[in-house]
Amino acid sequence: MKRKDRLLFYIIILLFVGFFFYSLVLAQQKEDSSGTSFSKKLTLTQAAMCEEVKKHTPKNRAVVFSMNLGRVFCYTSFDPVPEKTIIYHNWFYRDKLSTKINLVLHPPRYTTYSRIQLRETDKGPWRVEITDKRGNILNIQRFSVVD
Amino acid sequence: MNDLFVFWGTIRWQDIVDVLINSYIVFRLYVLFRGTNVVRVLVGIAFLWFLQKLAGYLGLIITSWAIKGVTAFAALIIIVVFRNEIRSALQVKNLKTILWGIPRKGVETPVEIVVDSAYELARKRIGALIVFPRKENLGEATHSGIPWQGLLSREMIISIFWHNGPVHDGAAIIEDDRIKEVGTILPLSHRKDLPPHYGTRHRAAAGLAENTDALIIVVSEERGNVVVAKGAQLKVVREKEELSKILIEHLGIYEKQEGFSIKGKPELAIAGLVSVIFISGIWFSFTRGLDTMVTLDAAIEYVNWNPKMEVLDTSENTARVNLSASTTLIKSLKPEQVRLKIDLSKAVPGKNTYNIAQENITLPPGVNLIKVEPPTVEVILDTLSKEELPVQVDWVGNLPAYLILKEVGLTPKTVWLTGGSRILKEISTIYTEKIPLDHLDKTGTMTVKLVFNSTRLKITPDSKDQVMVRYVLEKR
Repeated sequence: MKRKDRLLFYIIILLFVGFFFYSLVLAQQKEDSSGTSFSKKLTLTQAAMCEEVKKHTPKNRAVVFSMNLGRVFCYTSFDPVPEKTIIYHNWFYRDKLSTKINLVLHPPRYTTYSRIQLRETDKGPWRVEITDKRGNILNIQRFSVVD
Repeated sequence: MNDLFVFWGTIRWQDIVDVLINSYIVFRLYVLFRGTNVVRVLVGIAFLWFLQKLAGYLGLIITSWAIKGVTAFAALIIIVVFRNEIRSALQVKNLKTILWGIPRKGVETPVEIVVDSAYELARKRIGALIVFPRKENLGEATHSGIPWQGLLSREMIISIFWHNGPVHDGAAIIEDDRIKEVGTILPLSHRKDLPPHYGTRHRAAAGLAENTDALIIVVSEERGNVVVAKGAQLKVVREKEELSKILIEHLGIYEKQEGFSIKGKPELAIAGLVSVIFISGIWFSFTRGLDTMVTLDAAIEYVNWNPKMEVLDTSENTARVNLSASTTLIKSLKPEQVRLKIDLSKAVPGKNTYNIAQENITLPPGVNLIKVEPPTVEVILDTLSKEELPVQVDWVGNLPAYLILKEVGLTPKTVWLTGGSRILKEISTIYTEKIPLDHLDKTGTMTVKLVFNSTRLKITPDSKDQVMVRYVLEKR
């Protein structure tokens, strides 16, 4: 082998080894990065039943709502929201599922709400189960609809 | 012939025991009451019963109804009219005599002495009244007797009735070998067909004979003859042998062979046979007559289920049972005598289907099953489990518009319940009783009861059936 060819061979070996180590470092960095994302879980910071939601804030939080109000709100706030995901507000009248509302959450934090229109037949005890996309219950809000 | 074998095959050992026991009871009643009018009246009642059945069979409605009424009253009349005979029969020294022994006089009346005495008195023209009781008690028919208890002898009889003796006017009562009473006053007969020469003594003898089963010997003072009074009969007896024969027959004195009367043996054997035939006839009419059908609603009992499970639901709680039996048995059949049991020992959680078969139904003897409707039942069982459930307040009414019910706290927040796992799976909240809001105007606390919608749910002993509610009211 000529001297020129030998030099080319060493350069190629060096480049190959260099690429190999670079790949290792990149993989490690990626792993570290994904580890950070696991530690940041979707967290429900606030949940409340209220008469109204104004400027992303629940107004007149309560556990009893009159039919005259016409509607009831379930307010939820999440921080952090690591990635775009959906949550559910499951409204139960007594023990029977009345409505299931899915809401989209966007990172990094998100406030959202659902509401129901009140009818005469809705008087009685209610609960709203707030679940993640897998159905894990994050919180339960209980309230009553009265005259 | 084949039918006979089939018939024998259907007879149970209980049936044979049944017939034998009752035959023996009838036989014992005959033995205890034989010789009294009770037996004759019982035969009359049995005849009436037979007539009533015959009238019923022929469709003679009023006749059957009338005889039935008379028969029913006759049973009561027997007890009232023959209370003395019943008492005498039952007043024996021990139970063995009632159950086993043949009542027989321990000591016999010396008939020869009595006969000789009677004719001696007649020859001497000494009037006499001698009473020989049988089974009936004479206590109510006679009175003023003087207890004597003297051993019977010819001399004693003559001396009792000797002219001007202090007790010669009354009657002497002879029981066994003793003169039990003397100077006894007997009831006078009011019969108008008695011969005119019969005086007070004869009328007294006739009076007692009419009212009791006793035999009375009358010795006429004027005519010097011997008259025997029994039942409605007054008979002049001229020969000693004849009087002796009458007395022996009346007193039931027979020749003996190893302690058992030769003459009485065939009579008892016939009585025993008649008892067996009589009871067998009744048994046949009760058990073999399948001419009547009836349909009853029988309650279904579900039994023997695993204690770790509970019966959630059953497709049927009653079943219509078609039965056949004799009219008598059907009339006396009560719904509670028909028991329908379903054994759930092999039941599993979930739906179980059972066929209602003969072995599930308990019937009185002699009643046959024709059909059960429905033929199957479904039973749903569930395993018992325990679960902790949250409590929620059930508010009702109208909260004043200026107030907001901001917050509610419960103590305890949850309760433990036991019940079927299916029911527990269906519920996720236990609610309080309804709490009216109308009179709430400030923050406070109250204790309220919990409401369980299913009776199959039970609160565990460590939980309470009430909670304390703390509520926070705020003005808007």
